[in-house]
Parts: sequence; C-alpha cells; structure tokens
Amino acid sequence: MLFAVDFFLRRLVQGLVIVVLVAMLIFTLLRVVPGDPVRIMLGPMVTAEMAEETAQKMGLRDPVPVQFIRYAAQVISGDFGHSFVRSAQGGSTGGSRGGDTFDASNRAPVMGLILTALPYSLLLAGLALGISLVISLPIGIVAGLFSGRWPDRLALYLSSLFVSLPNIWLALVLIFLVSVKGGLLPAIGYQNWTYAILPALVLAIELSPVFIRSASVAVSSNMMESYVPSGIIRGLSRPRMIVAHVLRNSMIPLLNVVGIQAIGLLLGSLFVIEYAFNYPGVGLLMINAVFQRDFPVIQAIAILACTVLVLVNILVDFAATTIDRRLQY
Amino acid sequence: MTPELVSTTSVAQPTLRGQRWLSATMFINAWRTTEFRIGFFVFFGLIVLSVLGPSLFGVSPTKISVTDKFLPPIGFEGGNWAHVLGTDQLGRDLFARSLIGLRNALMIGLISVVGMFLLGSAIGMIAGYVGGWVDLILMRITDAQMAIPVIILAITILGVSRPTPFSIVCVLILAGWPAYARTARSVMLSERRKEYVRAAKILGASDLRIMIVHIAPNILPPIAFVAVLEVARMMIIEAILGFIGIGIQPPTPTFGTIIADGTKYLMNAWWITTVPGLLLAISLCGINLMGGALERARNKLLQGVS
Repeated sequence: MLFAVDFFLRRLVQGLVIVVLVAMLIFTLLRVVPGDPVRIMLGPMVTAEMAEETAQKMGLRDPVPVQFIRYAAQVISGDFGHSFVRSAQGGSTGGSRGGDTFDASNRAPVMGLILTALPYSLLLAGLALGISLVISLPIGIVAGLFSGRWPDRLALYLSSLFVSLPNIWLALVLIFLVSVKGGLLPAIGYQNWTYAILPALVLAIELSPVFIRSASVAVSSNMMESYVPSGIIRGLSRPRMIVAHVLRNSMIPLLNVVGIQAIGLLLGSLFVIEYAFNYPGVGLLMINAVFQRDFPVIQAIAILACTVLVLVNILVDFAATTIDRRLQY
Repeated sequence: MTPELVSTTSVAQPTLRGQRWLSATMFINAWRTTEFRIGFFVFFGLIVLSVLGPSLFGVSPTKISVTDKFLPPIGFEGGNWAHVLGTDQLGRDLFARSLIGLRNALMIGLISVVGMFLLGSAIGMIAGYVGGWVDLILMRITDAQMAIPVIILAITILGVSRPTPFSIVCVLILAGWPAYARTARSVMLSERRKEYVRAAKILGASDLRIMIVHIAPNILPPIAFVAVLEVARMMIIEAILGFIGIGIQPPTPTFGTIIADGTKYLMNAWWITTVPGLLLAISLCGINLMGGALERARNKLLQGVS
C-alpha cells in the first residue's frame, strides 16, 4: 500500500512537470507564429484601432510569460477559457459582420466544446482498440507459438503490409468500396454508432501491426523459457501450460504496448481519421480550431491529450509492477 | 519502437573493431534475406522512375488539358496509353503527378529522418556523456517533447504558420528527435565507462573528439538501421499533412494534395485518389521490408553477442 502511494506521488509530480512544460511550449508556439486571432474574430471590416483595442482588452498584447501565468491560473481553477470563434449557440461568430456584433461574453466555453465532442472520440477509440485486438491477438499468439515457421512469416508480411498503408488513403478506399460501391456502412458524419465502424476499422488496421508484433515476440520468448518444459515434465498438458502460464506472462509487455504505443498512435491518428470522415470528435474540433486560430481550444486539447498520455504511462507502469514485482519503477 | 531500441542497443558490449565489423555483418545478413532484396528493388526501381520518369515519358505533371479530363487508367473503359494511370479533374496526368509526389515525399522523409537522427543523437550523446544537471534538464525536455503526439504538434505549428518544405521538415525533426535522444543517451551511459574511452582521455583527447571520433562511429550505425523504418512513417505523415491542406502547397503535386483533390470526385472518378495512394503504399512497403530486415538482422546479432 505504502508502495503504491509512494509510486503515485513520485510519478504524478514528474508528470505534472511534463504537462507544464508541454503547455508552455504549445502556448509560446501559438504566440510566436504569424497570424493575429483578433483579425479572424472581428473580420476584415473593423479598423486597426478597434482590433488593437479588443486585443488589449483580451490581454493578447501582454508579454507571453504574463499571458501564460494568467492562463495557468485560470486552468488551475478549472476554467479553460472561452473559444475565440464559436458562440455559445454553436455557430461561428467570426467573419465580416463588423465590430458591433462581437460579444466577448457570448462565447462557447472550451470545456463545454470538448465535453460534447469527447464521447464520440471515446466511442471511436474504444471500437478501434477492440477491433484491432480481436484481429491481431490471435494472429500474434499463433505466430509466437510457431515462431520461425509459416504462421510467423505470414504475420510478418501482414504487419509489413498494414504498416505501409497510409491511413487517409485506406480511409478513402474503404469509403469507396464499402459505402459508395457496397452501400454496407455509412461513412460521413455521425448519426448513430454505425457511423463509427468504418473509421474504427481504419484505425484498427493501423494499430494492429504493433499488437501482432509485440504479441508474437512476447509469446515466442516465453515459450523458450525453462518453466515451459519443466511444467510439462510435472504433468501439465501443453495446452494448459500455454493458456495458463505463457499467455499470462506474455500480457505484461503487451500491456505496455497497448498503453504507451497504442494510445500514442491513437491520439495522433484519431485526429486525422476524424477529419477524413468528418466525424464530430475532439480531433475534428482541434483541426477546425487550428484553421480558425482558436487558441484556447488548441491549447486545451493539446494539454489534455498530453495529460492523458502521461497518466496512461503512469497507470501502465503501475499495472506492470503489480503484476510482476521484479520490475522497479 | 523506442523501448526495443533501448533494450537491444544497450546490450552490445564488443570492442571497437568488433563493432564496426558488426555493423557490416548486420548489413550483409539483412541483404541475404529475400524481404530485403524485394524491398530494395521495389524501392530503387521507384526512385529511378521518379527521377527519370517525368522527362523520359515526356508528360508534364502540371499541364492542364480539359479535353482529357477524367480519363481512367488503362485496363478500364476509355483509358489510353498516353495516360497510364489516367488523368484528374483538370486533365493532368496522374502518373507524372504521382512520381513527382513520390519524389517530394521521399526528399522530405529522408531529410527529416537524417535531421532528427543527427539532432537527437547529438543531444542524447551529450546528455549521456556529460551527465549531472545537463543530463537531467535535457532528459526532462525530451520527456515533455515525447508527450506531444506528432500529428498534434505538426497540425498546431503548420496550421497557424505558412507551410513550406523547409518548415515541414523542421516540424518533423522537432517531433521526432526525442526517440533518438533517449536511445543515444542510454547507449552512451554504458559506452563512456569503457576502456577505449578512458584510454583516449588519458592520451589527452578532448571530450568533443572522444564523442565524435571514438564513440559516435560505434553507437550510431545500429540506431541508424532502425531509422530506415522511420522514413516510411515520415512519408505517411507528409501525406497526411498534404491531405489536411497544411503540407507543401499546390500546384506542386504531393500525395496528400492529390488524394484530397480526388475525394470530391470519389463517386465517378475513383482512380484519382486510389491510384496515387497505391503507388505510395507500394513504395512504403519497399522501405518497410528493407527496414524490417535490417532491424531483425541487428536484433539477432546483438542478442547473439550478448
């Protein structure tokens, strides 16, 4: 118990440092690149003085460190600010309607925008992980049991092929074949959960090489351990040995991979695939925010994505140390 | 990929000459496998084609010809030999456009991987060699950088600034260096305690000289072998950036922009998106086969040595 408290304290402090560094990096990057968000908020019809005044009022002309500290204080109190562009009613308020229509109080809160989009992304990510595990675990385990023989080679070629398929291209080919030609599944937008199947399939194919590889490596290296023949000598059957011992021991590296590599990969690809399928998740929100220079939304999503990654890392390490106490953190 | 990099490169403990010989053996072993050769020939065939192709076949990738628009590839009704892979919505030859796209993707992939390899290895080697506070600070920065997914970083920077080939390469390097820094550092930690490093120090060699002349040739080739796989990954990311519209800007053809343009015509001209993507997938397959063979040859040899 004490071990767990000590572990989490240490790692959470480390993680917090990382998240703060990332937040600083993204915050500074957004402010040093060209492109003034005030222009996009107010449209081209307002005068330079008007734009300048609004920028002053919103604190966009203060030195970057001052802005960052103000932002950090806000975030700590749980407020990620308000969107620059989206109004609380859902429409985009940026444009050419002039200065009078600009109303700083009528902006959608960033947290609300993210919370609306998050369930869609979670559904997609969960479905993708599920499909990919269902495809790749059997292949990987069989490849590991017959290491060096044809199932192993087949798994190798299959994962080489999957790695080589660009996800956007695969997305469009599947849209064309399954939705346009076959008419089997819907593809663009979101109305019910079936809209998530096709994007999830694309993500699953992208994820599966990682799973196939780590499963086959873990199983084959465990099969070479001395506990396998000694268990069989003691009278355990080979199938029982494999199911009860080899597979259990192989789960630790797999857990690591699922946690770190898969979540990392998902966090990137999810954004692109949501954009390709016009799927209303966090990724689409982020990409649209980038094009509209909606800084609060970009910052919040980047910080949250990185926090998720850091937390998953900690949980995976904790799970690994509780399954196998030889591992030190 | 990173954890494997770390675990396998740090186990090798051979002597100076032994390790140089080791790198050559790894390469020869990889070359002996069928996968490597298939990958090699596919890849170099495509490189030759993309360098010589446009001038050889005399078709321009940007010449617009409205009468020839929406021609399907040969083998389908209406296709003709002047445009092997068909034409797009403006009658531009897709084969020529794909070859130019391949050339751009390869250049960006190669340059960015070389860049992130050099930057990452340098930072990792310095952190591992100097140790102490420098190590601590450099590694915290590495951790922070690693916690940002590549795509998010690229979208953020390129989306709000003007994408040029140079800025794209910079972003990819910025996103990719931490993996190399970690690997190089972990190998450096075991390497700097070795006899030959002590010997060089006693002879009066400067730290910089020891790092560049003595240690780098030992520890970098095995890391570079795995970097081959990264070229394919960077080419995919380049295509993704082009697709979102923040890659190299039109009229220069890239895979991403060709695929994105074609999505509007997916219903009646499916080949605009699918065919160039197929070419990209084939070249990525070539690179991955080569990279995979190199990686396995390295792992086999390093495990045998330890």
